[in-house]
Amino acid sequence: MTARRAEPLAVTPVAAKGWRTACLAAHRNGERFEGLFATTGDGKTVALRALFSSPAKTRLIVCEDSDRRVETLVDAIPAAAWDEREAHDLRGVCFVGHEPMRPLLDHDAPLAAWTVPTIGHDTHEVAVGPVHAGVIESGHFRFHVVGERVLYLDVRLFYKRRGLEAAAVGHPLATSLAYAQRACAACAVSNSVAYAQACEQALGLAPDRELSRSRTLLLELERVYNHLHDISAICAGVGFAAGTMAYATMKERAQRLNEALTGHRFLFHTVRVGASDQTLDAETVARARGELRELRAEHASAWRQLQFTASLQARLDGVGILTRDDANRLGAVGPAARAAGIDRDLRSESPHLWYHRFEPVTAPGAAGDVASRTVQRALELDPSFTILDQLLAAPLTPGRTRTDFDPAEIGVGRVESPRGATICVIERNEGRLRTMHLRTGSYANWPALAHATAGNLLPEFPLINKSFELCYACADR
Amino acid sequence: MFVLLNQLRRIRRDIAAPPPVTRSSLALRHVDAGSCNGCEHELTAAANPFYDLAQYGLNLVASPRHADVLLVTGAITTRMQPALLTAFEAMPEPRLVAAFGDCALGRNLLGQADQHAGALEQILPVDLRIPGCPPTPTAIAAALIGALEQRSRGR
Repeated sequence: MTARRAEPLAVTPVAAKGWRTACLAAHRNGERFEGLFATTGDGKTVALRALFSSPAKTRLIVCEDSDRRVETLVDAIPAAAWDEREAHDLRGVCFVGHEPMRPLLDHDAPLAAWTVPTIGHDTHEVAVGPVHAGVIESGHFRFHVVGERVLYLDVRLFYKRRGLEAAAVGHPLATSLAYAQRACAACAVSNSVAYAQACEQALGLAPDRELSRSRTLLLELERVYNHLHDISAICAGVGFAAGTMAYATMKERAQRLNEALTGHRFLFHTVRVGASDQTLDAETVARARGELRELRAEHASAWRQLQFTASLQARLDGVGILTRDDANRLGAVGPAARAAGIDRDLRSESPHLWYHRFEPVTAPGAAGDVASRTVQRALELDPSFTILDQLLAAPLTPGRTRTDFDPAEIGVGRVESPRGATICVIERNEGRLRTMHLRTGSYANWPALAHATAGNLLPEFPLINKSFELCYACADR
Repeated sequence: MFVLLNQLRRIRRDIAAPPPVTRSSLALRHVDAGSCNGCEHELTAAANPFYDLAQYGLNLVASPRHADVLLVTGAITTRMQPALLTAFEAMPEPRLVAAFGDCALGRNLLGQADQHAGALEQILPVDLRIPGCPPTPTAIAAALIGALEQRSRGR
């Protein structure tokens, strides 16, 4: 089968005055907000981009000269809150009506500027991090609490900011992929594929069958070891060591399989722009298939045990609830959104990948709590194992691209990572990268995690945090 | 629960890890100074039943005040440098510092120069180098068991 002809990106240019009107029109039209950012080519003119999508098309609203001043979107699209705060901190864009504009990346701002004031009898703040007690990435959490009850959580990330997007600029497109990959090890394939797809869209290229098979294989291998890891981490959050270790051993086996198939436990250096070098002979795919079938059976058996472990289950129900409305409003994505009943998965709208008639699965009941997010991971493992089994039914040969439509300066790549929709927007100058913006599933979900924490007990936070299992690295970049 | 424990017992039997060679221990404290999360995944993996660092007396502790070794991962961002130094200063002496992974060793760093504070070596005295992007659990185990043996011989 040949890949469907790709839908080129719809670019809607607007003036600064028309920014809000155009974005809200897309929003009202049912198009989903997928990110907003500011770029600058010459260091003076600041351009704005907002991405909206529907299953039928992807639309980029661009404002080439914003004069650093536009009307805000957050009152209508709360999901844009972090994006606007980031554009404000990085490029000095003033979003009129976004009040108060609290700093997000700016760590020099005084405490009062970036925390939400809480007043009342006995309210106090608990500051945690950036260094945490376990083996956890660095980030700061400021809990506003009464007794043990969390009133509000301020998440202050970007301690790990390495400036990857800016540093990627100016290199040949193929070279800059390394910067997208480095953003996060656990989402290395997702970020790389999103970047590669963005470049290919800008170059007018579409992948052939082997290239889309290769990428889908890598994406699903990444999802399997991440979901196994997440279930292990949730068991650790409850202190249920038998479950933690059972799933940690399955994750280890999955990573050893990654190494056997690609030479790297995190599948690094496997994605390229415009091609794939991966070859897997008949014997290798057969062995990998066998190993995955064993893993699948082991997961099924361990999962049954977890369901009947009362001490674990008692801790999961009704904790850290993210309602469907809040998930929609805050722009939650991935397993966290599906566990709240939103049956949206970019795999069902990925013509350049090997997903045929993919149907998103949602946890039964979809209560949006820790229990639902745990069940969601376990449920999603099944289709991933099935897809891998189908992909590994035949040997894999190197993949290529062919010219499919007119090249452009801008390209967008969209991939369902283990944590949700990951978006990469690139602009090119001939063969070199002019700008890159990576908005990962983790970035989209951090505000939803903070919201789901409010109202719970402070000691529940590690568990709630693990049930989302967001990366700090690919939010900080 | 018993099924889970049996699965774990079976894995332990299949792996047949060599018995610990020393009776001492090292308390480990981890600080992520700007990693891509790969080093954290592999450090966590080193505690899984395949490697089981705990059996050698290598345990991760919650506070730098209880730690013998500081495991530093990542590119050492300017934003993490103060917290890294605070953690180091909180450790009792004698203390070891490990540059954990290629970024901490200053190898193949990616990003803007003004966001990076420099390789760990320029910031703290480094005693232990664990290369890799990220280091595999096998490499982590070998480096830490090596440090443990060296320390017990030195006593």
